[in-house]
Formats: sequence, structure tokens, C-alpha cells
Amino acid sequence: MGTFLASRVMTDIFGGLATGAVVALIALSLVIIWQSTHVLNFAQGAMGMFATFVGMNLVFHGLNYWLCLLLSVVTGMVLGGVTERVLIRPLYGKPEINPIVVMIGFLGVIEAVIASIWTTNITMLPSPFSQIYYQSAGHTILVSPFIFYEVALVAIVVIAIALLFRRTNLGLQMRAAALAPEVSRLLGVRVGRLLTLGWILSTGVGTLAAVVVSTGQVLAPTNMDGIFVSAFIAAAVGGLESPLGAIIAGLAIGLTEQFILDFWSTSIAPLSGVIVLVIGLSLRPQGLFTKHVSRRV
Amino acid sequence: MSRVRIRRAATLASASALTLGMLSTGLAMSAGAASTPGVTAHTVTIGATVPLSGIAAGYAEVSAATAAVFDYVNAHGGVNGRRIIYLRKDDCYNINALGCTAGVGNTPTLTQTQTLVTQDHVFAEVGSLGTAAQDSVIGYLNQNKVPDLFVSSGSSDWNQARYPMLFGYQTSYQAEGKILARWILGHKKGATVGVIGQGDDFGANGLAGLQAGGLSIASKDQLTYSPLDGVTGNFSDITQALTTLKGDNATVVVLDSIPPLTSYIMAAANKMSYSPQWVVSSVGSDPSSVNNPLEANAITLDPYPAANNMTNPWNVWLRKIITKEKNSHAWFPNFYSGHFKGILDGNMVYGASEGLAFVEALHSLGKNVTRAGIVKAMMTTHFATPSLTPLSYSPRNHQGLQGGAIARILPESDPTQSPRFAALLGNAEYTTGDYSNSPIIVSKQKITPIPGYLK
Amino acid sequence: MFRTVSQRYPTGFRLVATVVLCAVALAITFVLTPLDDSKLAGGAAMSIVILGLSWLIGWSGQVSLGNAGFMAIGAYTTAIWANHHTTSPIIWSLFLSTVLGGVSGFVLALPATRLRGPYLAGMTLAFSFAVAPLAIDSRSLTGGSGGLFINFLNSPSWFANLFSGSDALVKANAQWPADVAIVVAAVAFFFMANLFRSRTGRALRLVRDNEVAAELVGVNLQRTRTLAFVISAAYAGLGGSMMTLLSGSVTPQTYGLTLSILLLTLMVLGGIGTLSGAVIGGLIYSYSDNIVSIVNKVTGVNPTSTFGANLKGIVFGVLLILTMMLAPRGLVGLGSYLRRLVRR
Repeated sequence: MGTFLASRVMTDIFGGLATGAVVALIALSLVIIWQSTHVLNFAQGAMGMFATFVGMNLVFHGLNYWLCLLLSVVTGMVLGGVTERVLIRPLYGKPEINPIVVMIGFLGVIEAVIASIWTTNITMLPSPFSQIYYQSAGHTILVSPFIFYEVALVAIVVIAIALLFRRTNLGLQMRAAALAPEVSRLLGVRVGRLLTLGWILSTGVGTLAAVVVSTGQVLAPTNMDGIFVSAFIAAAVGGLESPLGAIIAGLAIGLTEQFILDFWSTSIAPLSGVIVLVIGLSLRPQGLFTKHVSRRV
Repeated sequence: MSRVRIRRAATLASASALTLGMLSTGLAMSAGAASTPGVTAHTVTIGATVPLSGIAAGYAEVSAATAAVFDYVNAHGGVNGRRIIYLRKDDCYNINALGCTAGVGNTPTLTQTQTLVTQDHVFAEVGSLGTAAQDSVIGYLNQNKVPDLFVSSGSSDWNQARYPMLFGYQTSYQAEGKILARWILGHKKGATVGVIGQGDDFGANGLAGLQAGGLSIASKDQLTYSPLDGVTGNFSDITQALTTLKGDNATVVVLDSIPPLTSYIMAAANKMSYSPQWVVSSVGSDPSSVNNPLEANAITLDPYPAANNMTNPWNVWLRKIITKEKNSHAWFPNFYSGHFKGILDGNMVYGASEGLAFVEALHSLGKNVTRAGIVKAMMTTHFATPSLTPLSYSPRNHQGLQGGAIARILPESDPTQSPRFAALLGNAEYTTGDYSNSPIIVSKQKITPIPGYLK
Repeated sequence: MFRTVSQRYPTGFRLVATVVLCAVALAITFVLTPLDDSKLAGGAAMSIVILGLSWLIGWSGQVSLGNAGFMAIGAYTTAIWANHHTTSPIIWSLFLSTVLGGVSGFVLALPATRLRGPYLAGMTLAFSFAVAPLAIDSRSLTGGSGGLFINFLNSPSWFANLFSGSDALVKANAQWPADVAIVVAAVAFFFMANLFRSRTGRALRLVRDNEVAAELVGVNLQRTRTLAFVISAAYAGLGGSMMTLLSGSVTPQTYGLTLSILLLTLMVLGGIGTLSGAVIGGLIYSYSDNIVSIVNKVTGVNPTSTFGANLKGIVFGVLLILTMMLAPRGLVGLGSYLRRLVRR
């Protein structure tokens, strides 16, 4: 058993899924925003990192990890809500490039603020669970208690979000508001509030991902940069309309990268995102899991 | 330098033809016909291109410490009656960003250098930082006859006959590799040794030094990581390298990495339950920069007295001048400005040493400050700096420091409360001249007395 | 609407206008300091790339974040060519880089032009993210992370002879690259001005505004979009080539996602889809450090403090947000808005 679990293929699968889970989580957060407000949030990674810095830095001042995690997520949610109200609300109905540009500007501001406040310190954020991989008869199995925690956390969040959207009245209203804001408004749904709620949820999820990415790592402002690009690709391949698509695509990207690395070449790894995108979107240009296609007339 | 990430230019064949560099000193003469640029009766204006923002902003404290030395000297009457005006220009480590853009093509360092030379009319550059960044302007500075002193980088690019006004500062990666190899051969005889180096000349030169020191490393154990790993967040090459080394039972692993990557590599190895004896280049070992408990007991080379050694007179003096320096914008929250919380670290000692060395060279000139004079003074001054090994230059050797002392990183009980330090293990070791032929000289650690005029 | 615009000025007029404006710009370089000459050179080169992006985003509505990648292809083409053919005139470097930029644009356009909005943005983003690692890895061709160095643009002796005085050579060697860049930019702008008014330009706008209508009047959607993409990539290749020639070097770190975002920022600040917007974008690029130092002076923030050094990110981020909120057509739009305000 140990030999099998430590085999090359299984090692790749474990490694790929561990990365993919976090990619999926960030992709999910992008999809929530896209679904509710049709905005591509380029600052998602940076916003999550900002909230992470606010909350997780208190770990170094002796605060409990879980309390800091909670504080980070709340900070992220507040930041998301305020951003939607202040920066995004005036842009509804404008060309799609406008919110993209505004969020790029916001990205610059957040990164500069993080760099100004928490400069130059490289500090390992301690992990609440051991990150040491299990060993079996001298073989390393690429699974650690921390990875179990990571995957479980992602699963819980995904299920909670799915339940919210599918099983609750609020979720129904949110979907309606996103799909047909005018009709929803006529039916008495407070569309504006729901859009803000979409951002709050999304940045909350994004922050959770940022905390997970930074745990057991150096707490650095750039932590989310690379993984954000992967998540962005995952969201696009999965079809921005589909949370399930984002999760599947996120896991797939994690696995693809791992297998390309191991069986092909390290140098080609940065291209794996492009490869997945080209193949995925060639099959369906509007994303693999998008149900309906509309054309603007 | 310790802690400066290095990327060396692939080719510099064309540097001598650097057109814009043709700006001869004539332009800077506009202030007055025969005067030396940047020098007035009461001031000497010098400059540096350094990263203050962006990915290498962590090195900002190097030049901040250099500036602190000048501030101290100015407050005590200056050098021979002249105050030093030190202009630090942010070049974002030569990476394009808004506000850090360039007029010539897209290299911020070249633009900032041009600004220093043609607009601010600096007398010299002192302590400019970064191999790739400085590589892109040494031709320009040379053609403008601007002395480029104490470049903060361990590349051997600063040691070229065609650039007579260019002087490095840091021990070369080769020399360092050679000294580290000596420790490994002496203490870990017969061990399988692996290397993980940055995939550029920093890694390549470090490896060459290890091999010149007589260490044999199997080619499959000579591994690299991409310099962009930290930017892309994709560390898969490191995972692969560690898997290989663990599989080969390498019990000693040498790292030619920058501090964040040192930390990452050690964490990744720990996850695999792989704990070899780490031997880390001084570039990536500064314990307060790496800030990882896993670095405990790693071996490194330290060119300076351990920063926590407060019996060393230099450290006492440096701490005094550095705590004087205040973060100029206390109203903006900055939790880890790091500089100047009253704790010395390796970066600060490094930067302050450069400042001290310049002050001493300038001091030796007396009242008559010229560019030719300072270049000559570089080779004749007996520099008194905190470094453990002699800092000396000759017409044939512009490298600067030649070595340091082997040090062991101390374990730290509470990683969140105080910075980590290294403990020096013994004598100072250094090579002289050409690293590949000259033997390693072992001597007692040198503690130069502080010159009277600095007190 | 655009019919009246397109018929307002004939091609001949545009040619004369280009020549006159180019001559004025060249004349100005004679009175500038060498530092300003150099800045202008960089701005001219950047404005070419911005113009190409402006054409793609403003006229065809395809949001691309991949143009830094095409710049890299142009930049490396020039460096590699110049290192192998040291005596070859720069026109060949420029030509080759433009063509290779266009060809790589075509390759990426095959999948890209089938994509809409966010999907296209995602794909081009992935492309520009992959460029630097690939360049570092192809060490034998690209010089790895150290990049490649080439000869600077030397002032020919006839040009240097125009100047006299102690710093004649200084001035000549700073001004020559600026003048070359201005002439290259003028050619690029002239071509684009005609393209804006051409059948293709009109078809592109129609595709952007109403695909179905475009198809109904016989426009081939795929071909028009591909053409827009290829031209944009060719402009990026040309601009990248100029960048290598001006800085005498090319390094992989320069050409990443950051640069793509920078391009988008400059284009928006200048004004999307206009010639003058691209010029303004180029100038903002060149003088951004001056803008930041003005802000530093006004606010009294020490530029070497941690906050001061990062102030540029805040300044340009806020500027970008304000532009999009208040003057979405950029500084160009702001100008015409103010004019209308005065007339009223």
C-alpha cells in the first residue's frame, strides 16, 4: 500500500489535487463575483492578501490562529462590500473594460499600501497542522495533515456556497438578481443589496484562500500572484457562469501542471495554463460548463 | 553582497559602444568650467540607484544604513568641512513599473542613472545595488567618467580592466564558494553534496567556486531553480530538486539562493522529512531576513562580526548612529520598517560599511576632491570598516572584500520575539587575487579600530 | 457617424499632417536636454505599442493582456538579429520584429479571436504570464535571465556634425535615438490613421458594436477580428524592437504581466481608441517618475521612505480609478469635454 501511495503517479495526483484545491477556491470566488455583477476582479488576489495581512499578522502578537483567520475573513468581506459600493456600483451598464481598469487601478493601490505598511519582513506564518508528509517504509507520500485540512476547508466552503445558492431563498434571489436584475427588481428583490452580498461572499472566500496559501509559508504580498493567474484561467475554462465548472477546472489545472512537470519538462510548466485554456476553450469558447449562450444584438 | 540577489549580464561585449554613454563630462561642467561635478566648497553630492519599492524593496535598508552613516558624519562637521549629499534613486530593481519607468527604452536603472549624472551632477555613485541593474549602466558611467564605487553585489563584473572607475564591494560568489567548500571538506568528509543554485550566474559562479575549492559534486546533484519562481509562485523545480537530492542521500546541500527562497527551500525539505546540513551563501543566509526557525544550524559565510555581538566596538557605534535615524513618516503606519528599531541586522552592517569606506576614502583626499583623486584613494586607503577580512583594492583587483568567517545560524527559541543571529565559528578566511589559483588565507578575525574622526 | 469622420480628411491631408507633426517633433528635440531626448525616445517607442493596443481594444472591443508578450518577441528578435548581424541597418531589425510580432499574433489569434471578453482576457493574461519563464529557460537563444545586450544606436557622423561645442557628441548621441524613434512612430501613426478610416476600421467598429448587423452586411467576423489582433501584435513587436534598440538590452523580467497591465493603464489614461491618446500615454510613461516626484514635493513625503517609495503605486492607481470614473475617454476625452463646457 505504502509503495503504491508513494508511486510516481499517486504522488503527482496528491500534489496536483492539493494545489488544485486552492486554485479551485480562488476560481470559485471569481465566479461568484462574475455571476452577481459581471465584473472580472483583477484585484481579488491582492484584496485577499490585504485582509490576510491585517488578520494573520496578529498571530505574531500571540493571537490564536483561528481567531486571526476569522478576523481576516471578516476584513476581506468588509473590504469586498465597500469596494462594490464605492468602486463598482457607478460602473454598472458601462463597457466591460471600465470595471477591469478600475480594479487594476485598485490592485496598484492595495499592493502599494501593503508594501508601505508591512514592508521588508519575511516571516513564516506558522501552520496549525503539521505540514510534514507521511512516510511509509521509507517512501514519502505527498499528503500531510495540513493538506487534509486544506482540502476539507475547500470542500466545506464549496458545499456551503452550493447550499446557499441552491437551497436558500437568499441564494435564489441572488441568482435571479444576477440573471435578470430588472425583473427581479419588479418582483421586489433588493437587487443592489444582493450585488453587494455577492462581493462580500466572494472576497470572504478569496481571503480564506489567501490565508491557506500563506499558511506555513513566508507571509509576502506576492503570495497570491501566481496562483491567481491559475485561478483566473480555471474560472475561464470552467465557464465564468458555473461554480462547479470553476472547481473542476481548478482541480484539473492543478493536476495538469503537476503531470506536465513530472512527465514532460519543468520549463514548459508556465505554459500549462495556456495549454489548458486553448484546449478547453477550443472545445467550447464560452467555457466548458456554461449552459446558455447569448449573443448581443 | 550578502543578501543581494545577483544576475549577471550574459554579454557585455557592446557596453563599450554605449552611445548614450558618450555624454562626456563636458555636460556636467555647466556649473563651472574646471570644477569637479558634484563638489562645492561645502558639499559633495553623490548618488545611488537602489530598490526602494517592488520585489527587492527588502534591500532598502542597505542604502538607508549607508545614508545613516553620512547623516552622522554631516552632523559632526562633514568630511574635511564638506557635507555629503546622498541621493538614493529608486530603480525598482530595474523592473518596469509606473513611476519607475525610463526614458531610454525600458530600463529604470539607466534612466535614474542618467538623471543622477546629467541633472543632479553627482560626483560619484556609491553603493548602487543589484547585479543586473548595475550591469546595464556600468558602460554609461564609465564613458561619463563617473566613479562607480562599492557596488552592492558579489558579481565579478565589477572587476574589469576596461572600467577603471568601477569598484565592487562584496566577496565574489566564486571566492565564497571556495571557502564554503573548504569547510565542507574539513567537516563533512565523504558526504554526498548537492547544490541548489539560482538559475543564473549567481548559481553558476557559486558552483564554480565550490568546485574550485576541490569539492566534487555529481552532475545530477547540481540543481537550479528559476529566478522567477518567487514572481510566478510556481516552485515546482525546487520540489523536484529536493526529491532528487533526497533520493541520492545527499547529506550536505549548498544553497545559492536569495533569502525568501532559502526559507522556501528549507520549508519544502522539512515537509519531505529531509534535513541535510544546509550550507548557505551569504547572499541568502541573513537570519533576520530568512526568518525561518528551520535555518538553525545552517552554515554560512559572514563578512562581518555577528550583528548581535555588542562587544564589538563597530556594532556599538553602528547601533548608536542607526537608532538616531527615524522613519521619516511616522504618521503612516509601518509595522516592520525594520530599519532602525534599534536592532542591527546584516543588511545594515553591510550598507553602513559601504558608507564608512566612502567616508574614509574621501577623508584621505583632504580638501582637493576630484574624480581621479577618489579613484586613486580607493587603492591607497587603508579602509577601517567592520568587515572581518581586509577591504583592499589594487589596479588589478577591484572586487573588494575577499572572504569572511564561517558562521553557524543560531537556533532561536521564540521566533516571533527577536531577530535571529549567526555565531561566527572561528578565524576569518579569505582568498587574494584570482580566486581559482590563490590559496585560502586563514587569519584571526580582524577588528579595525574606529578612526578618531568618526567618534 | 464614422462615415463623416472618415470623409473629413483625405489621405493626402493625413500625410501632410504626419510630416508636419513629425518635423515639429524633430525640431523640438534640437532644443531639449539630452535627458529629455532620451525620455522622449522611450515615450515614442511606447506610444507605438499603446496605439496597437488602443486599436485592438478601442476599435474591435477585444480586451487583450498579451501585448507585453508580443513586445518581448519583437525585443528578442531585434537583440538576436543585431547580435548576429552587427552591421545590418536597424531597418531590418524593425521590419523583422514587426513581422514576427504579427506572425505570433496570428498564431495566438487562431484560438483567441473565437473568445469573448473575459475569456479572451484570461487567455492573453496566461500568455503574457508565460513569456518571461520561457525566455529564461531558452537560455541558448535568449541569454537566460541575464538577457542580451546589443550596441546602442550610434549617432552617424553627419548627424553629430550638426552640433558644435564641448558637449556636441553628448547631445548628438542622445538626440539621434530620439529622432529615429519619432520617425518610426510617425510612420506607425500614419499607417494607423489610415487604418482607422479604412473599410477594415469601419467593419471592426461594426463588429464591436453589433455582430449580427455586421454579419448581415457581409463582414467576415473571424477574419476581421484576426486582422485586428495581428496588426496589434505587429505594433507591439515594432515597439519592443525599438525598446531593445534604445536601451541596448533586453531582459525577460521586463516583459511580463506587469508590463501588459502598464500598457492598459497608459492607454486608458491617454484615451482609448485615439491617436492622440496613444501619444499622451507614451508621454505619461516617459515622465511618470517626474509626476511622482511632483506629488512627493507637494505632499512633502520623503521619496526614500518606505511610504514615499510606494507612493507611485497609489498615485497611478488612484489616477486610473478617477480617470475611469470621471473621464472614461482619458485625457483626450477630458480635453474635448472641457472644450464643450467652455462653448456652452
